[in-house]
Amino acid sequence: MLKVRSLRKSYGNVVALDGVDLDIAPGQILGLLGPNGAGKTTLVSIVCGLRRPDSGLVEVDGVDAVAHAHAVRPHLGLAPQEVGVYPLVTVRENLVFFGELHGLRGRALASRIDEVAHALGLAPLLSRRGTELSGGERRRLHTAMALLHRPRLLLLDEPTAGADVRTRNDLLDLVRSLAAGGAAVCYSTHYLPEVETLNARVALLESGRVIASGEVATLIAAHARAAVELTFDGPPPDVNGHGPVERDGNVVRIRSDRPAEAAAAVMQSLGPDASRLQSVEIVHPSLESVYLALTGRRYEGEQAEEAEIVSA
Amino acid sequence: MSLPDRAGAIARHEFRMMRHNPGLFLQLILMPLVMMAFLKGAFREALQGEGYAGANGAEQAVPGLTVMFAFFFSGDVAFAFFREHGWRTWDRLRASPASSVEIMVGKCAPSFSMLAVQQTLLLLMNAAIFGMHIRGPLPALFAMGIAIATCLLAMGMAMAAIAKNTQQLNLMGSLGAIALSGLGGAFTPLSALPQWARAVAPASPGYWAVRGYRTVILDGGGLTAIAPMVLMLGLFTLGFAAVAAFRFRFDEAKMALM
Repeated sequence: MLKVRSLRKSYGNVVALDGVDLDIAPGQILGLLGPNGAGKTTLVSIVCGLRRPDSGLVEVDGVDAVAHAHAVRPHLGLAPQEVGVYPLVTVRENLVFFGELHGLRGRALASRIDEVAHALGLAPLLSRRGTELSGGERRRLHTAMALLHRPRLLLLDEPTAGADVRTRNDLLDLVRSLAAGGAAVCYSTHYLPEVETLNARVALLESGRVIASGEVATLIAAHARAAVELTFDGPPPDVNGHGPVERDGNVVRIRSDRPAEAAAAVMQSLGPDASRLQSVEIVHPSLESVYLALTGRRYEGEQAEEAEIVSA
Repeated sequence: MSLPDRAGAIARHEFRMMRHNPGLFLQLILMPLVMMAFLKGAFREALQGEGYAGANGAEQAVPGLTVMFAFFFSGDVAFAFFREHGWRTWDRLRASPASSVEIMVGKCAPSFSMLAVQQTLLLLMNAAIFGMHIRGPLPALFAMGIAIATCLLAMGMAMAAIAKNTQQLNLMGSLGAIALSGLGGAFTPLSALPQWARAVAPASPGYWAVRGYRTVILDGGGLTAIAPMVLMLGLFTLGFAAVAAFRFRFDEAKMALM
């Protein structure tokens, strides 16, 4: 459904995309991962025809999306990163507008609005104005506007940023059901656990390049290894002999298949440096450890909740 | 879907937003009505001094203030684009199947309707309320209304194209409305303006707008008599439209403080 090849885009001297290749088949969810500034939003904008690439190919269902953006747009559903709803009109009127833009009318439109509103918990809010919605409700409306017309390619750019737990769960359920219905979904996020929950294929974007792609389990098997991460007050001491060691400022990271045992052994061997130990964190094999293995850095996001943190 | 379908969807949406914004009615209809009630008497003497013996002052106050508030609304025409940026809906609209032309038509058609309705309503309501006697034929009055609405729509588009942020837009809208409509004789009859203002007045579309209305209302002129004013407004329209066409960028980010 979506084919991207050698896509490049720069803003002045800043390279946003540096030869990106991607594919999303119908019914497939692609988790587009990367920290802020990795190029996710630029990529989504180019697919929608909002920005022009410097070079490269973008095809949606075999149609060149750069040269013929107008032909492609009826098949796209876009929920940009920043919430965009019309505050002066009601939830229903917001949905009516986007439904009508995509050719829905009359009963078909009304029934689709009911369907989507029910799925996203918006049914009791249909007569409320945008100004009267909470942040989470606005986020749900924002997403509902993107999928009312049953797009064949759904582009969700960080759809759960700032969302409450209920909104996040509703959105994840909906994304799964849309993919089950045959939609290709590009799910851009920097919340790694969401992609694992969706069991999506993953493209890991770093500085405008796809540094890894594939199924979550495959990537974890290929790249991830558990680690113990120790943070010190000041430079870390020598902790060799427990596994491969990486240093990053006040943090020392020891890769190990048995991280709990490694943590215990390291702490016993610290001696007087134990008084400078601030925290010990066990990082289990996950997408986060894939990122760590590929970039040498911890992932910036809300993934910390995944790790077990032991205060020193 | 055809152009009218998508442009129509956008226009209906704009009308829905207008319906939820009663302030617009206050700005376009009620405020000029109130001001006309205060200013009518002050214009009586001036008009009688110009030789319109039977004039009661409404013949100057009504077209002048109608034109001035229509000029203020041209800022709203531009704001219809700016608020899309402020609400973060502009990119969503651009990413929809609606083309650039459909977005323009859909967003401008309701503004044009509002301007045309405002002109018609104010003139007819004032004829009834303040006893303003319209000596010329109504079709000539409507023709002026359409010419003014078209010109101000184009002016609004030009402002939308030029302004980078809402502060600039507010400044352009307010200053432009006061200067251009004031030069046209919206605040006072042209004969009462200073010499320098009378000399530059024809450079303002407000001048041709007020002059056209006065030709119909006070002089009883018909379509032939207002043809030069309609032509001049048409030239201003072309100028503003050219600025808008040359300068408006769909992918330009506008700073909109909402």
